[in-house]
Amino acid sequence: MKIKYIYLLIALMIVGLFTSCNEDDWLQRTPKDRITDEQLWNDPNMILGLLANYYDRLPQLAGVFNTGTNAEFDDAMWSGHVDQNWRNDIHYGDDYARYWDYTFIRHINLSLENLDEYSVKLSDAQKKQFNAELRFIRAYVYFEMVKRMGGVPLITSQLIYDGSGDPSSLQIPRAKESEVYDFIYSEIQEIKDNLTETVGSRTRANKITALALQSRAMLYAGSIAKYNSLMSSPISTTGGEVGIPANMANDYYQKSLSASEEIIADPEYELYNPAGSAKGENFYKLFFDKSAKEVIFAKDFMTGKVHGFTYDNVVRSFRTDIEGSSILTPSLSLVESFEYLDGSKGTLKDKDAQGNYITYTNMADIFANKDARLYGTVVYPGSQFRNMPVNMQAGVAIWEDGEYTFKVGNLGSAHDDGGVLTGFDGPRNDDQYVSNTGFYLRKFVSESPQDGVRPSLASNWWTWFRLGEIYLNAGEAAFELGQTAKALNYINEVREAHGGFPANSLTELTIETIQNERRVELAFEDHRFFDLKRWRIADKVWNGLETDANAVVHGLYPYRVIRPGHPDDGKYIFDRMRPTRFRRARFFKMANYYSSIDPSVLNNNPKLVKNPFH
Amino acid sequence: MKKHILFIIVIISFIFTACEYDNFEEPKATLSGSVVYEGKPLGVRTNGTQLELWQDGYALRYAIPVHIAHDGSYSVSLFNGKYKMVRKAGAPWEAQLNDTIIIDVNNNTVFDVPVRPYFTVTNESFQHSSGTITANFTVNKVVENADLAQVRLFVGHSILTDQNRNEQAVNADLSQVVPGENASVSLKLSEALAGLDYVFVRVGVRSNQSNEFVYTQVEKISLN
Repeated sequence: MKIKYIYLLIALMIVGLFTSCNEDDWLQRTPKDRITDEQLWNDPNMILGLLANYYDRLPQLAGVFNTGTNAEFDDAMWSGHVDQNWRNDIHYGDDYARYWDYTFIRHINLSLENLDEYSVKLSDAQKKQFNAELRFIRAYVYFEMVKRMGGVPLITSQLIYDGSGDPSSLQIPRAKESEVYDFIYSEIQEIKDNLTETVGSRTRANKITALALQSRAMLYAGSIAKYNSLMSSPISTTGGEVGIPANMANDYYQKSLSASEEIIADPEYELYNPAGSAKGENFYKLFFDKSAKEVIFAKDFMTGKVHGFTYDNVVRSFRTDIEGSSILTPSLSLVESFEYLDGSKGTLKDKDAQGNYITYTNMADIFANKDARLYGTVVYPGSQFRNMPVNMQAGVAIWEDGEYTFKVGNLGSAHDDGGVLTGFDGPRNDDQYVSNTGFYLRKFVSESPQDGVRPSLASNWWTWFRLGEIYLNAGEAAFELGQTAKALNYINEVREAHGGFPANSLTELTIETIQNERRVELAFEDHRFFDLKRWRIADKVWNGLETDANAVVHGLYPYRVIRPGHPDDGKYIFDRMRPTRFRRARFFKMANYYSSIDPSVLNNNPKLVKNPFH
Repeated sequence: MKKHILFIIVIISFIFTACEYDNFEEPKATLSGSVVYEGKPLGVRTNGTQLELWQDGYALRYAIPVHIAHDGSYSVSLFNGKYKMVRKAGAPWEAQLNDTIIIDVNNNTVFDVPVRPYFTVTNESFQHSSGTITANFTVNKVVENADLAQVRLFVGHSILTDQNRNEQAVNADLSQVVPGENASVSLKLSEALAGLDYVFVRVGVRSNQSNEFVYTQVEKISLN
């Protein structure tokens, strides 16, 4: 009997397997563990979340508070833990500054296509806005690639494999270097008027941001066209993947200038220069005041999304954590590139014409009457931090038998006479977490003690673009176009507003003046490496000579004079020195003008042409 | 107790065994030689210029960098096989990217790489008298479209003396240097160097086609 029921049950179950539910809707459920494309592309807030991810991934080489890479050029050296002393000994490999990020490009292309395909609920303006923002980010990424690699494959849509066994349709050859710059220009022209929802924003792209990218990118293209062909043997490939013909320079400079002038004319943006406080102080505050009208585009930080730049680089005795501090220490050559306010060259007067040390009553006196941006960028001996004097002194100089003998001690040590021997802030040669050059960094380093403590750290923002750069871009482009009066005007305005120079301080202009002006105004803002490359002087400035004052990072150490009974007793002298931890002169090879392409990329795409020298 | 010892021996013997897979055979063959022009090795900056070796027959291709010592010699450890050598750009000689050299490496292979430098320095001689070093030499032009960019005398206290590593160097007046004719340049030693027993000297010449010099062989000069 029982067995019959079991058969029946089995039969019913088999029948049950072949039936199906009539109502498809019942099975069609919205997944609870993922977001569908339809949901994403119809919700402005979710799209914004995606964009935040992309903005966060904007590439940099020595930007966004990148302490390490900034210690690899001539503006500073590494004074942090000895385990990274290789930065003071860096050999720029063939792959230095390589950037080849088609993952990011694919993500943007995919987003652009999905935005078109799926979004139905967004308004037309919103759709255009998001499309334009994505394309701005893509143009920025292409700019970052072209300035490091030369012409790269221009890919603007998803590459989909057809399964045929032949991948050659996915192998896109490199575009010409000029074509990538032209692509950036034409993208900006198409999108700039669609960025209507973000007018006035400092952290999302708007029309002014797009123009700022145009201003910078076109200036790069113009100077590569001009200065590459002025080299004794221009760097180029036969297909134009590297190198831009000289006759294209003027057009690029013109495009840069027109973008710069449009930004400068916009009343929403002005050079940061509040009345009533010192110029140097203003220049420092420019990077902390998030309402500054100078800032065009920034990467914001806040509680929960912080950076360790203050922890890394704060003056030694001002550190509020038990470790860190003093990592990035500016070089003497950077300090000396800040001119005197009377327009004379910035060389510090440490010795007189006979080679005798010049004595100073106060340490800060040797830095007196210099470009105010020096104070805003560098903490030098005798200056202040957090309204407190820094305690810098390398040692004492004892006068014996007609010459000085230098004596140094531990940090915070006292000499036999009861006075300071070595200050709490050094400088101290061959030591870690204390300045090895005699200078500390002030730019971007927060005055708030809390900003140097882990894990809360600092939340001042990173400026990708600011008006000061745009003025200098305009000045340089105008200069190259032969409009010298206009160029002088733009550059003098920055010098007056930020540097505290009198009006019209420059009356003549050379490319060297412009180069120096960019070095001091834009120090540590991720410009130096690329500027030297586009002017094609990187191999001359970083010439690898152990005797070169610029290729080798030097320091300047203050000593207190001990010479009882003499008027110089108790005054200070300054000694130029080469830090022991600085191992090798910076040497930029011709091969570094364009980084090598990864061999695995070349293996995958035989249509790619190698860069010269690789 | 005996059992314990046996166990320990067994365990220890396991420690000294290894998986076969991580025992790749190390490359036993060597390829060595010098970069030569007209049969003579060319001096270069140590760790400066490189040659590249490639091997065909594998799916993925990666270059093997070949470093050149200051005297122009090089040496690489390889497996036996057929390799292609490329004379890259960025060297003080002409790049010959399309004219690769095929080398059969079999145990110890010696191969001198012929290169065509933009310039050479020959007939060099160095004299020292009372703290001044004088170099006499002849600069020869090899590549027609190259121009002289720099001719320098380098002095150092180690055998690795070149454009980047030197204690003292001086540029020759280019208007006085005529290719094919005798030229000279002299340098007054700094106090630090003059006090030494000996110094190393060499002359380098750089063309406008490259940022690397080609050097004479380093010579040791006694100062006493």
